[in-house]
Amino acid sequence: MTPCTVTTGFFTLGKCGVMAVAGCPACQRPLCAGHITESGLCPECAAARNQVGHPAAAAAYRRRMHRHRTAGEYQDAGWYAGFDAYDRSAFDPGAGAQQDYLDDGDDALVDS
Amino acid sequence: MADGHRAAYLAFDRFPSSKGSAVHIRHMAAELFDRYGGGLLCVLGGGGLPAYQREGAVEIVRFDAVVPNLLDRAEAFSAWAAEQLAPHRDTLELCHVRDPWGALPALDTGATLVYEANGLPSVELPYAWPLVAPSTLGKLRELERHCLSRAAAVVVPSYVIQRAVLDRGAAPDRVHLVPNGADPPPAGLPRPDTAPDRYLIYVGALQPWQGVDVLLRAFARLADLTDLALVVCSSVSANRARPLRRLAERLGVADRVRWQHMLPHAEVAAWLAHAELSVAPLTATPRNLEQGCSPIKVWESMAAGTAVVASDLPVIREVLGEHGRLVPPDRPAELARAIRVLLEYPDVRRELGERARRHVETGFTWRHARGRLAVVYETVAGR
Ligand SMILES: [Zn+2]
Ligand SMILES: [Zn+2]
Repeated sequence: MTPCTVTTGFFTLGKCGVMAVAGCPACQRPLCAGHITESGLCPECAAARNQVGHPAAAAAYRRRMHRHRTAGEYQDAGWYAGFDAYDRSAFDPGAGAQQDYLDDGDDALVDS
Repeated sequence: MADGHRAAYLAFDRFPSSKGSAVHIRHMAAELFDRYGGGLLCVLGGGGLPAYQREGAVEIVRFDAVVPNLLDRAEAFSAWAAEQLAPHRDTLELCHVRDPWGALPALDTGATLVYEANGLPSVELPYAWPLVAPSTLGKLRELERHCLSRAAAVVVPSYVIQRAVLDRGAAPDRVHLVPNGADPPPAGLPRPDTAPDRYLIYVGALQPWQGVDVLLRAFARLADLTDLALVVCSSVSANRARPLRRLAERLGVADRVRWQHMLPHAEVAAWLAHAELSVAPLTATPRNLEQGCSPIKVWESMAAGTAVVASDLPVIREVLGEHGRLVPPDRPAELARAIRVLLEYPDVRRELGERARRHVETGFTWRHARGRLAVVYETVAGR
C-alpha cells in the first residue's frame, strides 16, 4: 500500500498515512480519498492555485498575481509609521547579532 | 468552508516549532478556534512546513516568501495576512494577534481585536539587531501604540509587561492578565536513554538575555562534582550555540555539557522530570526587567516537579513565587552556591519540586490559561 503523504496535525505534525488512492497531478504526492480536493489536487497545490476556501479568495489571488514580490511593494501607506531606508538597513541580514537567520525560524519579534 | 471564518489568529512566528512561543500559540489558538467553530491561523512557514493545511474547521496558512530584511519581511507578512483575511471580511468577528504586523491587517478588517502582548518589538528587537537606531525604535513604539490603543482587549502574561503596554496607550480597563502555564507530564515518564546519571538542565533559546553564559560559568565552579552534567535543551539550532560552546571549552567544562537542539516538545518533559535541578538564569537586562515575559521553561519545570533555581527578577517572582530558589541575576558564584546547596539537600529539592507541581496543577495548567482567555473573549464579545 502507498500511504498518503499530506502533512496533518496542529502542533505535532505527521504524514496522513491513510492508503493512497490517487496522486496529485501537480506535485505527484500520493493522496488518500479524504485529501483529494475537488479539483483533484492535494490541499497545498489547490490552495496555491486558490481552489480551496472562500470564493472571494479568488479575487484576492488574482490581485496578488499582478504584483511583483518585492519587499517595497508590500508597504501600504498609512499602515506603517513610515520606516525609511535608514530604519530598514539595521534589519538587513548582515546587521543582525546572529547571521544565520533562516536556519531555525528564530526571527520572531518576541519570544517566551 | 463556504461561509468564511468567524475568527483568525495571526502570529509573525513559525508554527509549530520547538520554542516556547509555539506552545503558547497552540493553546491560545485552540481556545479561539473552539469558541468560534474553527478559524484561520496565519503564521510563518519555512523549514519544510506546508503552506496550507486544513484540519477540520481550522485552516492553517503559512507565509514562506524569502524576504531577507526583517522589517521588509514583517511588512510582507502583514500584506500577505491582509490577503488571507480579505475573503473572510464579512464573517470575521474576532482577530487574535501577537504583534503589530498581525494587528495591522486585523484592524483593517474591522473585526474585534485581541492583542496578546508577550513582548514588544521596540524592546525586543535591539537585542537581535544591535544597529537599530533610537529613532527607529521610536517609530516602532508609535506602531505599538497605534495597535494597542485600538485593541478591544490586550492580553499580557505578567504584571511587568502590563506596565509596558499601559505605557504604550493600552486602556487600563482593557488589559487582562493571562499568565502562561504548563501541563504536568504523566507520572513515571521513562528516563531518556541518553540522559546522564545526574544532571542540571537548561531549557529554552540561547539569546544573551537568557543568561546561559552565566550558567556555564556557574557550572565551571562545580567542577569538583565530577558526576554532575549540564544538559542544555536548546530550542534553536546548533549554529546558534557556537559562541556558548566555545565558552564551555574555554571554561573547561565542554566534556560535561550535553547539547540537545530543537527536541520535539513532547520529549523535553522527560529530560526535565529526571533532572536534579532546572536552571533559569535570566539576566537583569531591560528586556527582562521592563518588558518581562512569563517563561514557559519555568512553568514546565514546575509542572514536571523539578526544583527550579532562577534569577531573582520580578517576572520570575511572579511565576515561581516561593516554590523555587531565587538567586541574584548575573552572578555565577551565587548561582553555583545555590545549586550546590540544593544538590546537598535532596529532601528540600523534592519538596520544592512537589510544591511547584501542585501550584501549577491547582491554578496554572493550560486549561486554566484557556479559561482566563475565554473570559476575555466573553468580555469583548459583550461590548
Ligand atoms: Zn500537490
Ligand atoms: Zn490523507
